[in-house]
Amino acid sequence: MAVKFFGQFMVEKGIVSREALLQAVGLQESTNLRFGETARSMGFITDADIARVNAAQREVDLPFGEMSEKLGIITPDQLKEVLTKQRNSHLYIGEALIKVGAIRAEDLPGHLDAFKADQAPYVIDTVAIPPGVPDPALAELIADLTCKMLSRIAGLTIRTGQCAVVRRLDDNDTVVEMGMSGSIQARYLLSVSGNVRNAIARAVLKTDDVSGESEAMLNDAVMEFVNIICGNMAAKAAQMGKTIEIALPRLIEAKGGIPAPAGGSGLLFPVSIADGRIEIGLFMEKA
Amino acid sequence: MKKVLVVDDSLSVARELSRIIASSGEFEVAGHAKNGAEAVQMYLQVRPDIVCMDVNMPVMDGITALRTLVSLDKNAKVVMVTSLGGVGDKYTEALKLGARGVISKPMQSEEVLKLLRGL
Repeated sequence: MAVKFFGQFMVEKGIVSREALLQAVGLQESTNLRFGETARSMGFITDADIARVNAAQREVDLPFGEMSEKLGIITPDQLKEVLTKQRNSHLYIGEALIKVGAIRAEDLPGHLDAFKADQAPYVIDTVAIPPGVPDPALAELIADLTCKMLSRIAGLTIRTGQCAVVRRLDDNDTVVEMGMSGSIQARYLLSVSGNVRNAIARAVLKTDDVSGESEAMLNDAVMEFVNIICGNMAAKAAQMGKTIEIALPRLIEAKGGIPAPAGGSGLLFPVSIADGRIEIGLFMEKA
Repeated sequence: MKKVLVVDDSLSVARELSRIIASSGEFEVAGHAKNGAEAVQMYLQVRPDIVCMDVNMPVMDGITALRTLVSLDKNAKVVMVTSLGGVGDKYTEALKLGARGVISKPMQSEEVLKLLRGL
């Protein structure tokens, strides 16, 4: 059970072939203009502007539209106009599959309903984020997905607490972090006590008993758990139109706690559990 | 039995994938590589029938390794096993480069075996 996109779902169900999906994706790529091409077609930017934005993107990881606005090439209103035009003319994968003959138009609604049902466990529940936090929707997504994975995969009975802005994360038995870049520059941290680590390891290793496992294997299981959370988070973010790249998970030394980045934001999502301690941290770099 | 090379930097994933493969009775684990560079070396030594490969790995990531393997052997059967499978761009990029399938983590053993049986 993982976050999926529609085309993937259709291939896995055997409704369309890999080749048909690639054909449909090819049609999308030739139909859906990128932001720069759309803005150029609307007369807002020139080829020289595109080159300037691309050069700037090599230094700072920002989407094309946001970078253009940041460089003063387009106005906020023009940014909105381009995004609206993209949205209105976008060829979705379902429609593309129809156009390449992989599915019939009358069957698409049924397939979409089945996809929605398949992905229902990953619909984001509301998580209150303190005001002033950059990109609260992503922070909400990260916290919600972690909690869903803790209960559905690790089988833990948990309750989420109130999100708070913090200067540091307290130490714990095992703390794993994963760097993120793209639409968000941040570090995700999962901090767990020993028995929670073992519960996660039981789930990842698919065994009832981890008493004979090495420290390295138990910690590796938590790192893989974080990898699963963040990868699925990237998939969910992609559905929101955001691009997130994830680094490798890292076990970190947490004695004395982990400070939030200077000038950035440290968010703490406490998770209540009967026996043990879990904290989800999201340390965002200065914007 | 068909030989499968398991490529993942995570000990726990490698173990779980190996367990799924070994329990099938139809496949056997030919080896375990911890990154893409090792995967390419081992592929040339062991010549497995199938490669199950992670994407996010140190030294050489899975997409680069996939590209390399397919350029060395156009008949290489590589399946990506990744937490990023649900990211549309990553999924289609892997298929375009020649991956025979993509399994999203958390993986289900039936899903893994169904894909391997189809190759």
